[in-house]
Amino acid sequence: MYNVAEVNAEACVAQKGCRLCIMYCPEANCIQLDTQKMKAVIVESRCKGCELCVVVCDAAKHNAITMVAR
Amino acid sequence: MANRIQINKEFVDIMPQDYLDLVETGTFESPNRGWKDFGTATELIAEHSLCAGCPESIAFRHIMASIPNPEDTVMVGSTGCTSLVFPMIAVHNIHSLFGNQNAIATGLKRALAVRFPDRVKDVIVLAGDGATVDIGLDMTLQSWFRKERFTTICFDNELYANTGGQESGLMQKGFLAKMAPVGKRFDKVRLPEIARESGCDYVAIMTASKPSLVEKVIKQAVLIAREVGPTYIQIYTPCILEIGKQSMEGLQEMRTSEAPGERFKFREFISPEAQSFLDGLAEKKKAEKIAATT
Repeated sequence: MYNVAEVNAEACVAQKGCRLCIMYCPEANCIQLDTQKMKAVIVESRCKGCELCVVVCDAAKHNAITMVAR
Repeated sequence: MANRIQINKEFVDIMPQDYLDLVETGTFESPNRGWKDFGTATELIAEHSLCAGCPESIAFRHIMASIPNPEDTVMVGSTGCTSLVFPMIAVHNIHSLFGNQNAIATGLKRALAVRFPDRVKDVIVLAGDGATVDIGLDMTLQSWFRKERFTTICFDNELYANTGGQESGLMQKGFLAKMAPVGKRFDKVRLPEIARESGCDYVAIMTASKPSLVEKVIKQAVLIAREVGPTYIQIYTPCILEIGKQSMEGLQEMRTSEAPGERFKFREFISPEAQSFLDGLAEKKKAEKIAATT
């Protein structure tokens, strides 16, 4: 069982220009920007579950990312 | 020379999807590469084997997104955690023997100048603090004395993280590590100052907590190394395992250590020649902007 990040699309503010999780994720190509919906999406197979995205998202008070067990 | 990065049509059907993505949506030959490509373009670094939340991989991503012309860049690495990442990057790279990286880069830079006299070729050395400061200090310093034109990047994690936490020259005074239980007895080696005195035209000390700053510094360093002289960048990439932090605390650790008065507060030294070169670049950019708007 792995812990991976999950984006709540309703709370994500990527359409306003926020790129915090994409910027600080240590994994390459792991958090992508869905250019249609303008929301962040997690590529689960690349996520190592470090929770850095949760930390930066919560620090900006967006609270859009949670960790889920897979 | 547009579209130098192409895929052989015969091989399209058998190549892995990651490779196709890299060719199609990678940022090769893009004049305005930077961290803003994250999320939409394929990055030049793929699934690496560093620990979850490792700040070094954040720094690696920012650097790979910022180097000005990746298709004409050769990176020289050394033993350490960075050598786990080098097989996963889409830039030519050489793994040197421990400590030899600046000597190899010297020969490489000279050979490339002979082999490709009409093309700009960048050489970037990327090694940990053990390779740069302890084992390879001789080669590092000698390359600066000779004014070799390449960029040296040091990933400073203040100890030998890959082998279990031994004391390194860049460790801070008094720090206790797993394999250095007495505590370090002398000060952190002041390599940025030594670099400045040894002939580097551009020296920066920073952390990887601000992508825009990393991008600016890397671009400046590579361009100055191309035209003026050697450049040195020291980036704090703490080893979260060895300093006893959780995977999500690496970013805060970097931010804490770059606060005013702390040891990684952003500092840069630009020699007068490098400054006039940068001013020239800025003026050129301004003129282009004005020409584009009118």
